[in-house]
Amino acid sequence: MYHKSDCEGFQCEQRMLEANLGQDDAGLGVVERLIGWLRQRSLFVLAYGTGCGAIEMRPLMTSRFDAERFGIIGAATPRQADVLVISGYLAVKTLKRVIRSYEQMQEPKYVIALGSCTINGGMYWDSYNTIKCLDHYIPVDMYINGCMPRPEALIEGFTALQERIRRGEPGGYQRYRDNIDWYKANQRRVFGDNMPPAYTYDWYSEGAT
Amino acid sequence: MHVLLDSLAMIALCYVMGFLFQGFYRQFNARLQRRWGPSIWQNLYDNMKFLLKSETLIHGPMFFFGPMIIAAGAITTLLFVPFLKDSDWLQGVSTHGNLILIIYLLVVGPLGNALAVGSSGNPFGVMGVTRGLTRLMGLEVPFFLGLALVMLQHETTSVHAIMAAQDGIAHWNLITNPIAFAVILLPFIASQNASPFDVVGAPVEVYAGPRVEFGGRLLGVLMTQNMMMTIAKLVLVVDLFLGGASNVLELIAKAFALFLLTTAISAAFPRLKTEQTVDFFWKVPLGLAVLGVVLNVWLI
Amino acid sequence: MNLILKLLFLAVSLTPALTLLTWGDGTLAWPLFGGFELLFELGPLSAFFLLLLALGTPLVALPMARGTPDRAAYGLFALLLLGMQMLLLAGDFLGLFIGWEVMTWSSYLLLIRSTRTTLEGAQTYILFNLASAFLLLAGMLVFYSLTGDFRIAPLTEASAAGRWAVFILLGLAFLIKVGALPLHRWIPLGYDQAPDLFSAVLAGLISKMGLYGLLLLPTLFPDALAGLSGRLLNGPAAGYGLAWIGAITAVVATFKAISQQDIKRLLAYSSIAQLGYVVTAIGVGSSLAVGGAIFQTLVHTLVKLLLFITFAGIVLQTGQRRFNDLGHLIDRMPMAFFAVLIGIIGLAGMPPLPGFAAKYLMFVGLIDARWLLLLAAMMLSSTAAFIYCYRLIYGPFLGHANSPEARTATEAPWSYLVPQVVLMGLLVLLGIFPGFAIEVIVDPVLMTLGLTPIGAPSWGELATPYGGYDGVVLMTVFGGAFVIVTALFWLARGQMRRAGSPYDLSFAGEVPTADTPLHYGAGMGRELRRIPLIGWILAHTTAGVQAGLTRQTLAAAGLLGGLYRRDPQTWTLLAVLVLVVASTLLALNGGWF
Ligand code: SF4
Repeated sequence: MYHKSDCEGFQCEQRMLEANLGQDDAGLGVVERLIGWLRQRSLFVLAYGTGCGAIEMRPLMTSRFDAERFGIIGAATPRQADVLVISGYLAVKTLKRVIRSYEQMQEPKYVIALGSCTINGGMYWDSYNTIKCLDHYIPVDMYINGCMPRPEALIEGFTALQERIRRGEPGGYQRYRDNIDWYKANQRRVFGDNMPPAYTYDWYSEGAT
Repeated sequence: MHVLLDSLAMIALCYVMGFLFQGFYRQFNARLQRRWGPSIWQNLYDNMKFLLKSETLIHGPMFFFGPMIIAAGAITTLLFVPFLKDSDWLQGVSTHGNLILIIYLLVVGPLGNALAVGSSGNPFGVMGVTRGLTRLMGLEVPFFLGLALVMLQHETTSVHAIMAAQDGIAHWNLITNPIAFAVILLPFIASQNASPFDVVGAPVEVYAGPRVEFGGRLLGVLMTQNMMMTIAKLVLVVDLFLGGASNVLELIAKAFALFLLTTAISAAFPRLKTEQTVDFFWKVPLGLAVLGVVLNVWLI
Repeated sequence: MNLILKLLFLAVSLTPALTLLTWGDGTLAWPLFGGFELLFELGPLSAFFLLLLALGTPLVALPMARGTPDRAAYGLFALLLLGMQMLLLAGDFLGLFIGWEVMTWSSYLLLIRSTRTTLEGAQTYILFNLASAFLLLAGMLVFYSLTGDFRIAPLTEASAAGRWAVFILLGLAFLIKVGALPLHRWIPLGYDQAPDLFSAVLAGLISKMGLYGLLLLPTLFPDALAGLSGRLLNGPAAGYGLAWIGAITAVVATFKAISQQDIKRLLAYSSIAQLGYVVTAIGVGSSLAVGGAIFQTLVHTLVKLLLFITFAGIVLQTGQRRFNDLGHLIDRMPMAFFAVLIGIIGLAGMPPLPGFAAKYLMFVGLIDARWLLLLAAMMLSSTAAFIYCYRLIYGPFLGHANSPEARTATEAPWSYLVPQVVLMGLLVLLGIFPGFAIEVIVDPVLMTLGLTPIGAPSWGELATPYGGYDGVVLMTVFGGAFVIVTALFWLARGQMRRAGSPYDLSFAGEVPTADTPLHYGAGMGRELRRIPLIGWILAHTTAGVQAGLTRQTLAAAGLLGGLYRRDPQTWTLLAVLVLVVASTLLALNGGWF
């Protein structure tokens, strides 16, 4: 899909999302359906406060909007998290940490990106040091756009993600595995020699036991 | 055969009660904070989600065995706690154990897990373990002294005998030995890793403390044992102070009442630092315990 | 030649076992000058300690016999064995004293053979041990003046003052050997500086001779010390002080142990603490407590031999002895890891290993005596012990390798591994069968001390009037649960993989490298100082207290001396004044007192 010329990055994303929305969960066994349902009921969030959008994560978690009623709750470390929330623009420096954290999460794992900055750089579109299209570096499962998205929008986004998990769709992590060379090439383009170490992903190609 | 079935029943009961109680705890806290909060089944979902994760990363064999040891420790502990009195069921192997053994068994698992934390090589985890051990040192002294008052009162270390001696509400140790109950209450909350003594594993304290490197199914195992252990400890205190229970409903009611009490206390106080915790335990509960000793032993 | 020498040495190390097996009931009298004679016999109490020797010496001798033979050390070791056996077999104080001296001097000479021994260490060792020996001498002379005989026998007819004198002199002599506070200073220095394997002997065997002495006290003062000064609560009043000495020793030494940076020093302090429990239990004096004391003696011997031999192996392989300089040996020295694991489980008194049975008996003994405050002190010390136990395993074996040697180390030679395996096996077996140890080892000793035996319904069970537990069931349940949980998890493990690098850590998104200080071994326990009580204890050292005492004494002397410094008239006047005041007081009082 990424090699087609008619879409790029988040556009592909959006297209996939839209293409799937009308589909029902035909073809899934009872067990898969149960697993999917249990998984979507409990999302541990690693909120990476990279940009100004991080400010909306707090009201989301506290009493007013109370994300905990959807089973969404903060996690302390990447090891325990299911969802990585990238809240806004990413400098090259933060991107490195984001990639490292993402690779340390345990599958199934999902990425939610907030704000127009993660989609196309937003108001930092011409900055020398900001990542324009996050999806080139890590696979984004869900974009929530707006500058900045309100907690209602976040909840909307989370429930959409939950819906997809429930239907047992393969998350972005699958894409990351399949296209790891492409992602790594993109990352290398911005980092140069300054790449994060390879030991967090190099087992993708070996096939783990 | 009977023992096996019985043990399975105890484990299942503990697990079910565990996630329901903890779900209730989250609900309760949410309502206090004026939110709806998660459903009461949320802890089951969380646990299942982790047990169903498709990927698990380990840091060497010891890291893998740590959660196994802690789970085995939790199962062993709960099998040594009699759940009911005057019944053949839900006894486990409790006739072969005693109270001091149970107190020690409570820490076997966490110590085994500490090895796993150490072998992960994450300094934050080890920092958390040290904090946990420090807190343990603080809480265990008044806790044990309070229980020793009960053991002294009944001149036995057998939980069965202590339970049997409390027939009727007037003979509950809660009534006959209120100081001992007051002494163990706060250390008991700390041993449940509940607020305000939850500095060890709290998410924002040194990066989740001992659990920092655990993810995937291993974390699921840790959560499972945590729920079972919570219930085992509650039942132990019910046995010792609330006269035990003669059927499951009574057990659940009493354990829930106790849980409600500890929850209410937990919800009201902010978190203490480790050294504050220890210092607090060595001043207030231990002071009370010494008072209890003086009253019970020296003045009688 | 070397081989023969080594074989001879190993044969010598088997002598305690031979003595134990062949002695039988007979007594051996050796006439000395003037009607005195040396009397040797083997009672159950001596037999118990001889059993410890018989277990320990071959296990230490095996690794000692490795490499080029160190003839002087072999000779001194043989002498040491002779001394210890002599003092155990002695039926009278003469033999006890001679054996004690032989043991002291030969162990001193062995100690100073280490290249690490400093003048301070050597001096402290010999001074404290000589003090112990002379106190023993004084005690036995008082004993002789009371009874007219050196035989170790109950002291019933003597006056109260005489009995107290014997009690205090002998008690002090043995407490020095055990290392009770504040008489423990030689232990951390000595254990630390001694040759690595000899530390095992020091901690595992020689310190037990002090306990042997302490256990002689109930023989001298029957009715479990209660004959001495009545009862307090439900225990002997004379033992109450002894028990507190033990408990305070245990608490303070435990905190000191936590703050050590050197493995062997930590073990030395933990030895002091563990023997503190035993002293407390001996102070309680009931059959439960003394049974616990004997059990703890046994367990502590096994554990300390195991730990010291294992760490001797680690020091041999890496040359490092500080927590800071080791790390992550679990992959390189798995055997040592298991040995230390079993060792610390025993040390911490966790079920299912026998350390728990010993603790259980002591706790129940304290509850029975209604000495609950002592119980709290014991509990404090034994939970704080978890921290140093965790350090013992974390520092060397887990975490990250912190020195080039730790990165390349290999398993210790087989002569170190064999004792480790044997000791681990013994510990596990004793843990499964606590009743066996009670029945076979503890009860005979209790009976000679005139206490009711504890008894055991079966080998797996430990039974007391207060309830007990079943080691077999415990081990089965725990092992079964472990196997089932592991099997279930393994079957449903999903995709499990090992981290590709030790630096694949959650580290707030950062990438730690070899330069990042990741090994938390050194700092562990530092934050404990913020707890007021512990901070206070750690801020004061016994050496400091003793130096302070010296300073105070000197200052007082200086003050007195100041009176003499002036011109002669002043102090003549002073002397006259004192004389006048004294005679006035005398006159008023009507004679001396
Ligand atoms: S999208 Fe807007 S609010 Fe979000 S990070 Fe970018 S500039 Fe900030």
